[in-house]
Amino acid sequence: MTLTDSLYRRLLTWLLVPLLALGGLMLLLAWSEARRTADRAFDRLLEAATLSIAEQVQWQDEQLWLDLPPAALEMLATDAQERVFYSLVDQAGRVVTGNAELPGDPRDDSASGDTRLYRDIEWRGMELRQGVRRSRLEDWRLRERFEVRVAHTREGREALMKELLRGNLAYILAMAAVAITVLLLAIRAALTPLTRLRRAIRARDPRTLEPLTLPLPRELAELRETLNDLLARMRRVRANQERFIGDASHQLRTPLAGLSARAELALRQEDPARWREALLAMQTTSAKTARLAMQLLSLTRLDNPEYQPELVPLDLNAIAREAVREHWSQCQRSGVDLGLEASSSPLVVNGVDWQFAEALSNLIDNAQRYGARCITVRTRATPLTLEVEDDGPGIPAELRLRMLRPFHRGDEALEGSGLGLAIVDGIARSHHATLNLEAGQDGRGLRVRLVFPEAAQ
Amino acid sequence: MRTLRCYWLTLVLGLLPLATLADETLHYPADPTTDAPRPLVVHAALDLPQIEPVLQAFHRLHPEVELTYRNFTTLDLHQRFLKAPDQADVMISSAMPWQYRLVNDGHAREQLSANARAWPAWARWRHELFAFTFEPIVMVVRRELDERYGTIQGHADLLALLERHGRELSGRVVTYDPASSGAGYTYAIEESRLSPRYWELVAALGQARAQLVDTTDDMLEGLIEGRYLVGYNLLGSYARDVVAAHPELRLVVPDDYALVTRRLAFVPQHAPHPDTGGRFLDFLISETGQRLLAEQTALGAIHPALDGPGTAEALRRELGDALRPIDLGPGLLATLDDLKRQALLSRWQREFSRYTAAPP
Repeated sequence: MTLTDSLYRRLLTWLLVPLLALGGLMLLLAWSEARRTADRAFDRLLEAATLSIAEQVQWQDEQLWLDLPPAALEMLATDAQERVFYSLVDQAGRVVTGNAELPGDPRDDSASGDTRLYRDIEWRGMELRQGVRRSRLEDWRLRERFEVRVAHTREGREALMKELLRGNLAYILAMAAVAITVLLLAIRAALTPLTRLRRAIRARDPRTLEPLTLPLPRELAELRETLNDLLARMRRVRANQERFIGDASHQLRTPLAGLSARAELALRQEDPARWREALLAMQTTSAKTARLAMQLLSLTRLDNPEYQPELVPLDLNAIAREAVREHWSQCQRSGVDLGLEASSSPLVVNGVDWQFAEALSNLIDNAQRYGARCITVRTRATPLTLEVEDDGPGIPAELRLRMLRPFHRGDEALEGSGLGLAIVDGIARSHHATLNLEAGQDGRGLRVRLVFPEAAQ
Repeated sequence: MRTLRCYWLTLVLGLLPLATLADETLHYPADPTTDAPRPLVVHAALDLPQIEPVLQAFHRLHPEVELTYRNFTTLDLHQRFLKAPDQADVMISSAMPWQYRLVNDGHAREQLSANARAWPAWARWRHELFAFTFEPIVMVVRRELDERYGTIQGHADLLALLERHGRELSGRVVTYDPASSGAGYTYAIEESRLSPRYWELVAALGQARAQLVDTTDDMLEGLIEGRYLVGYNLLGSYARDVVAAHPELRLVVPDDYALVTRRLAFVPQHAPHPDTGGRFLDFLISETGQRLLAEQTALGAIHPALDGPGTAEALRRELGDALRPIDLGPGLLATLDDLKRQALLSRWQREFSRYTAAPP
């Protein structure tokens, strides 16, 4: 099963896993502590039993003698009815008496240091706790050494350990329960502003682009500000669009009104020569309007971020050559010198061919319209460039950026839609190319360059 | 240590008459209609007349069991078990220290039946070793003694009697020899622990040249024949029936303190048929089995639900605090300590011959 990613789960995981690890560690510590405590408590019995046995050891009949105190064994049996083992061993390691041959203290040094030893042993398949006491007879002359070894099973220790552990366990579990509850509540509380934000966004009128104003904690306030920035940008885009639509409808209304007025005027005449004259004028106007409508359409299409045409490898030289061929005769007629400076090798760029043709045609048209006498279409290999240079009046540097806006004309007196450069800009952007406007050769005229990034090849 | 003990066992064993197996075995064949007979081998130190009603009842209840019961002396039983711990399914013995020692060494199997769980804590050890009888240690006197010297009711009376009339009773008092009888030794060590005046009693017994024998039966025999006037420290369960049959004898359960010995049973770790063994042990401590012990034997029942003649409950009501059951605990291990035994026996011998130039 795949789990969907969620902040709640993430927080829960990152907080719970260390918490549980900590809990496990506490349990382990509690276990070892309980065991140590139980051993400490019960080792005192071993100590007391060995002492009470050692006190009864005497010298009699030329050997060690022990009058075994039953109480010492009963002490070791405890309430848990442990199995009890004991033995008295002389300094030669011989068992003097006892009910089991228990192992001795493996340490050598018995003259100094610790004379007592407590340890866990396994003896005949039984887990035992052993206590060994080294001692010696306190007689005037006899200083015979001996060792008292006792052992008992671990049931009493286990029972005490479990009891201690149960107490600790209840404590640890209660703490864990409180910690987990607090954790869940805290995570829920921390994520509440997120829910509020979501509700606020969902409850909004889809058409409004007003900024969000609800109070939020710092981390979410940043998100809110980012959202508000986005909304502000969308507001600007929408304002631009509205202006564009306004301008476009205005631009279309004017020639249509002209057409309608011209037709009305012609209908009042009876002379077919006038009619023809009017029809000719209407043909020119409608052709211009059609061109305007087409330009508007292509601009809208270029501005649409959803529109992503398929890019194919194209040779810039071929495109430039084609554009020059198409416009050459018209330029020839109006006495404009249209030239081509193509690179010697093919320059391959991924792009859409009709858009490049459109861009070049717009640039050539513009240059022609603004009174250029010499227009050069040029391609360069490094950097990969497609450019159109003319010797017309040019554009002052401070106005160049504004020329890219739709319906903005350098000279209001001149006819034209004012969409040409805006379309070229759109095409450049859709090919990830940079559009540069600069002065032409010798500071005269205008040079428009499309510089393609290396990756476009 | 082991060699020492074995030596001691052999020594004591040599002094005791060996039980003849042929006479001391009971066999109950399985019901021939059962497909798979379940064998059960009980090794015990418990005379046949005492256990027979229990065995019969058990066999009636479980006819599919093929029951073999072998009776031994306590020492023989113990030694046999040490040699071959995988022959018996149930071990029963009145030699409490030896039984305890075997179980302490891990030779017993844990029993967790409902009866075993409910069994009173003072009559079991670790759910492994179970006491199922309650037998006071008693004195038996001939009635002519009462007539001549007044009745004795307890240890103090006996001591007074021996001190006053030791000479007249010379050779007419009988008791266990602690040096050669395991039971006698156990009673001696328990009594020496109970009361420091025990040694005075031993000295008085020595002064009266008390006869030392090895079994309760020997004592009873002498008492019936009139060789002895007073028997001291007889096993009550054996004495009761004999006394009932002989009106010239009187049973005295001492009113100052009365030791109580208990038969101990366990299922060995390497029992060949532990399930059947466990079932038999369960029957011994069940209410049915215990009622049989109370009503049809002289062994005495422990079961807390039972009351009336032959139960621990009735005896306790009669004697109150005077009852001293031998503690079922590691103190029994001290009883078996070789040095302890030597020390006690030499003290006993010393006290016994305190008033006589030469020991008997």
